[in-house]
Amino acid sequence: MIETSWLLIAFPAFGALVLLAGGRRTDAWGHWLGCATVIASFVYGLILFLSSDGSTQDTTVFSWIPVSDLQVEFGLRIDALSLAFVLLITGVGSLIHIYATGYMADDPGRRRFFGYFNLFVAAMLILVLGNGFVTLYLGWEGVGLASYLLIGWYQNKPAAATAAKKAFVMNRVGDVGLALAIFLMWSHIGSTQYSEVFAGIGQVDQNVVLAIGLLLLLGACGKSGQFPLQAWLPDAMEGPTPVSALIHAATMVTAGVYLVARSSPIYNANPDAQLAVALVGAFTLLLGAIIGCAYDDIKKVLAYSTVSQIGYMMLAVGLGPFGYALGIMHLLTHGFFKAGLFLGAGSVSHGMHGELDIRRMGGLWRKMPITFVTFGLGYLALIGFPFTAGYFSKDAIIAAAFGQEGWRGWVFGGAALLGAGITAFYMTRLVLMTFFGKARWQELKTADGKEYHPHESPPVMTVPMILLAVGSVGAGAFLALGDTLAEWLTPSVGALQESHGGVIGHSLVPFLVVGISAVGVLLAWLFVGRKDVPVERPQQVSAVVRAARADLYGNALNEALFARPGIWLSRALVFVDNRGVDGLVNGLAALLGGSSGRLRRLQTGFVRSYALTMLIGGFALVGALLMVRFG
Amino acid sequence: MTPTYYLLLSALLFTIGVVGVLVRRNAIVVFMCIELMLNAVNLTLVTFARINGELDGQVMAFFVMVVAAAEVVVGLAIIMAIFKSRRSASVDDTNLLKY
Amino acid sequence: MDLAQGGPATALGVPSIDVAAVLPLLIVFTAGAVGVLLEAVLPRNQRWPAQVALSLTSVVGAGVALAVYVTGDFESTTTFRAEEASSGALAVDTPALFLWGTLLVLGLLALLLIADRSVEPGGAFVSKAALRGGAAGGTDTLTKEQTFTGMQTEVFPLTLFALGGMMTFCAANDLLTMFIALEVLSLPLYLMCGLARRRRLISQEAAVKYFLLGAFASAFFLYGLGLLYGYAGSVKLADIAVAAQGTDRSDTLLFAGLGLLAIGLLFKGSVGPFHTWTPDVYQGAPTPVTAFMAACTKVAAFGGLLRVLTVSFESTSWEWRSVLSVVAVVSMAIGAILGLTQRDVKRMIAYSSIAHAGFLVVGAMALTEDGLSATLFYLLAYGFTTLAAFGVVSLVRDSSGEATDLSAWAGLAKRSPLVAATFTVLLLALAGIPLTSGFVGKFAVFEAALSDGMAPLVVIALVASAIAAFYYLRVVVLMYFSEPAPDGPAVTVPGVFTTTAIAVGTIATLVLGIVPTFALDWASAGGFVF
Repeated sequence: MIETSWLLIAFPAFGALVLLAGGRRTDAWGHWLGCATVIASFVYGLILFLSSDGSTQDTTVFSWIPVSDLQVEFGLRIDALSLAFVLLITGVGSLIHIYATGYMADDPGRRRFFGYFNLFVAAMLILVLGNGFVTLYLGWEGVGLASYLLIGWYQNKPAAATAAKKAFVMNRVGDVGLALAIFLMWSHIGSTQYSEVFAGIGQVDQNVVLAIGLLLLLGACGKSGQFPLQAWLPDAMEGPTPVSALIHAATMVTAGVYLVARSSPIYNANPDAQLAVALVGAFTLLLGAIIGCAYDDIKKVLAYSTVSQIGYMMLAVGLGPFGYALGIMHLLTHGFFKAGLFLGAGSVSHGMHGELDIRRMGGLWRKMPITFVTFGLGYLALIGFPFTAGYFSKDAIIAAAFGQEGWRGWVFGGAALLGAGITAFYMTRLVLMTFFGKARWQELKTADGKEYHPHESPPVMTVPMILLAVGSVGAGAFLALGDTLAEWLTPSVGALQESHGGVIGHSLVPFLVVGISAVGVLLAWLFVGRKDVPVERPQQVSAVVRAARADLYGNALNEALFARPGIWLSRALVFVDNRGVDGLVNGLAALLGGSSGRLRRLQTGFVRSYALTMLIGGFALVGALLMVRFG
Repeated sequence: MTPTYYLLLSALLFTIGVVGVLVRRNAIVVFMCIELMLNAVNLTLVTFARINGELDGQVMAFFVMVVAAAEVVVGLAIIMAIFKSRRSASVDDTNLLKY
Repeated sequence: MDLAQGGPATALGVPSIDVAAVLPLLIVFTAGAVGVLLEAVLPRNQRWPAQVALSLTSVVGAGVALAVYVTGDFESTTTFRAEEASSGALAVDTPALFLWGTLLVLGLLALLLIADRSVEPGGAFVSKAALRGGAAGGTDTLTKEQTFTGMQTEVFPLTLFALGGMMTFCAANDLLTMFIALEVLSLPLYLMCGLARRRRLISQEAAVKYFLLGAFASAFFLYGLGLLYGYAGSVKLADIAVAAQGTDRSDTLLFAGLGLLAIGLLFKGSVGPFHTWTPDVYQGAPTPVTAFMAACTKVAAFGGLLRVLTVSFESTSWEWRSVLSVVAVVSMAIGAILGLTQRDVKRMIAYSSIAHAGFLVVGAMALTEDGLSATLFYLLAYGFTTLAAFGVVSLVRDSSGEATDLSAWAGLAKRSPLVAATFTVLLLALAGIPLTSGFVGKFAVFEAALSDGMAPLVVIALVASAIAAFYYLRVVVLMYFSEPAPDGPAVTVPGVFTTTAIAVGTIATLVLGIVPTFALDWASAGGFVF
């Protein structure tokens, strides 16, 4: 069974190859092949899952980079963690592939789209299945490539092209961190395979472990949209909605969480690195939630919600053995409800002629009831309505955060709790403005002057939404009750520890969370539910709202700290290059050309002068020989 | 007379040939100077054969003569051809190809 | 030839000749002699087909004889048979066999270029070389006889004699044989240079210059031979090597002899400062002859130089290496720098060949097995490339013949993309860009030189290649990024002969660049035997 696990990757890779190399002749059936390969992987993953007891099994597919001391094998690791991810990726992936056949029906490049989509799934599976950091890096770059191609899908739209570039560049920053971490492992441990790295990490100097941990965190921040590399993720919503759902909500952006959880032995060996992870997570979850309140674009709000929720996951995995399983659990439930929410958003925009501005919507629940119900269930799961998925997974993280001792308990717990309240606020605002209230779209025209005719989406889109909604409601209870998931994951990330003590007891947390969420909902209703929402964005707003609308100056910060100095540096280098290097090179060229022009005059065309040249050369030759011998 | 003088003589003849090639303008005279160089070498060969007390050098001189004769055939043909074209045998006139 | 082996005058015996070993040589020389007879007995209109058939057949036949000799022995021993043939006048050893193969293949391609009558009606050679041309050298009007489409078929036997001389030169085991071979290869070349149908004056000028300077250089070679004979008492390469290790004669004779000998050899290889004839002769000679000279003469000259240095002067390498290093540097510098300002394609390739000669000297000085095989490979690769390059040059023509001025090549890619692409590949190979044979050759030569402790020379060689790359790439830029002149030259559609020659040369350039191992293996199959 385990020996053939490479088939998991081979199916979608084959699909990508056929679709991308096959060209137009695969147009007719390409999207169905794209779905079939992912479903095949899902089925195969399910079989593997059912036959596995969660223990770690490594298998080598082939020797990849055998260079004297550097022996990198292309191997796969089947264990509890990777199987959980395989099921998430292929399961949610299958649903979104099916959804996309409907969503992309009118796009002439649909076949190519599915090629990229399959490429993404294959790369993502390499990422989570690899049994070494280099294999992980291959998948890491592969998903980055697929993400880049898909964000820029509407390539004639400048915003999409810019967003793709931005995602690519910011991901590179993180990738450099990951690459440097791998180099450090290689130089200090002598291997990049998980088994040897984790076995040897104990003998490595603590400063090096800290460096590896922080560099890995940098990589995780880049891929998962965590502070300070969060700015690309909202812009990535320029891609088609299925892309946002699969890549930028459910799977790829959680790769950072996977990386930290997978590297748990490294972080367990250095508490400082672990603390850094938790701090980044706590800060980002607040940042994402606050900015999420200010946006009117349905996908942008969901994107910042993703940033915020991944912050929760990072916080959880930053808590060490208290939180690895909780982070993964939130990751899985989030995969369901956030994918469902994005598909819902896609369905809304599909019915509203591509409109994404929630100020131009309202009262849509009558027009698209299935979308409304599924979106609503995802909403409840996200804000942690009792007994939905988010209730179990998020409350557990908040409780674990409060379970820390001293200032950590207050800071992490406080941030997580406050974040839950803000989440309730912005999500309620989103749902109210979209589905309730006055139908503002009736008096408006689309960009090209037509009237809006909102309508429900076809079954090929609604069925995946319904299935994901079921998951949103049920997954939490399934995974959390009786610690099913925590026990399953024990072989991979260690047993889940329960803190006894901390600043606020476990039993109190659910009431606090539900209470503060209720406050958030109420506030949202006061702001947007009670009165009419203006179609135009109000410009006279408080400083807080202005800051939130400007992404809390995240882009400005990046520009001031990195872009400006970078531009100055490159200008300085250009100056040096133009004046110094070019001057030298051009001067040299001029010198050579000039000497060539003068020297060729020696080729006079007279035989006798040629003979003289030869004679002089001959004298010099013979004379030099005699001088060397006798001189 | 020691054989060394013959070697010096041949070196002198060779040098005269070289200088002739450099200073004379008429292609035929230049060519004759080259023939002088070859024959100077013949003298060297014969002298060394004498010094070594063997015949090799003398045989080689015959080879050189034959080669020189062949060279004359080819050389005069070429010089005649260009003389026909240009009505001049001066090597300084053949000066189209340069730089 | 066998007389040169010396011995008492009374004991002139019948020389033993290994006919199988020298059969390729005999075939080529016999065919040359038969070609002269054909010229005398056949009516004019039958000469061309007969001569073409005879020369191509003989070269192919010589190649087959060579292959039979090599493979026949290859089964019994791991290396080629390395015994001396022809009573010691010739050494048929592995490098000689490799050079023979190289010369035969390149000679065959050159013959194809020479035989072509499709590019220029009647071919590039006029039937009466002594005809008076018109006014200035460039654009003489064609007289009635010149436009006669008959072809000077004497060029075929001349080519065969030259080829035979080159093969003898590579295998010559004593200096006298080498001198005679030098003349046998040179004299036909002098004549061939003056046979151009168009631009008679510069063609004849090239012949005169080549002849006078060539004879001048061979006189020096001969004087070197004389001094070495005086030093060693023999002109056999092996005897000189023995004498160089200790004799009562003055070392002045040895080193003066080596220096004078080197002048003749370096002249033939167009190594600076003995290069002066090269640009003029390459430009003036008919392009197929230039191709033949550039490819084959270089192979022969460096084959001879390698043999002399390796066999006779290995023990004195400390003395001559520093001197030859300077020669190599001078040659590379002249080739690279003077090539920069050339306006004529043929002249530019001539300077390129001077620079390449410098690289070859670097390889020849590394008296290691690697150095030998690298130099042999370099010769093979360079021969193919330069032959094909001159083949392409012969295709670009305007009303007055070949348009060799660089300005005529502007925008060539727009009108004839295939020709431009082919020429680009060849130029890149000359520049030594990876995936071409030029890169592999340079790499092998420089590596051998490095491991033999000539690092400074390799650095200079790399700088020179970088400078030279400029003028190759300039032509590429000119062909691809310039607008073609309105009344620019047309590219003639070549006939099957020229097409074959260019195609084989270009494909060999690429093949030797991508999978060079087999040729490197051949080149390194064994060393000189003496």
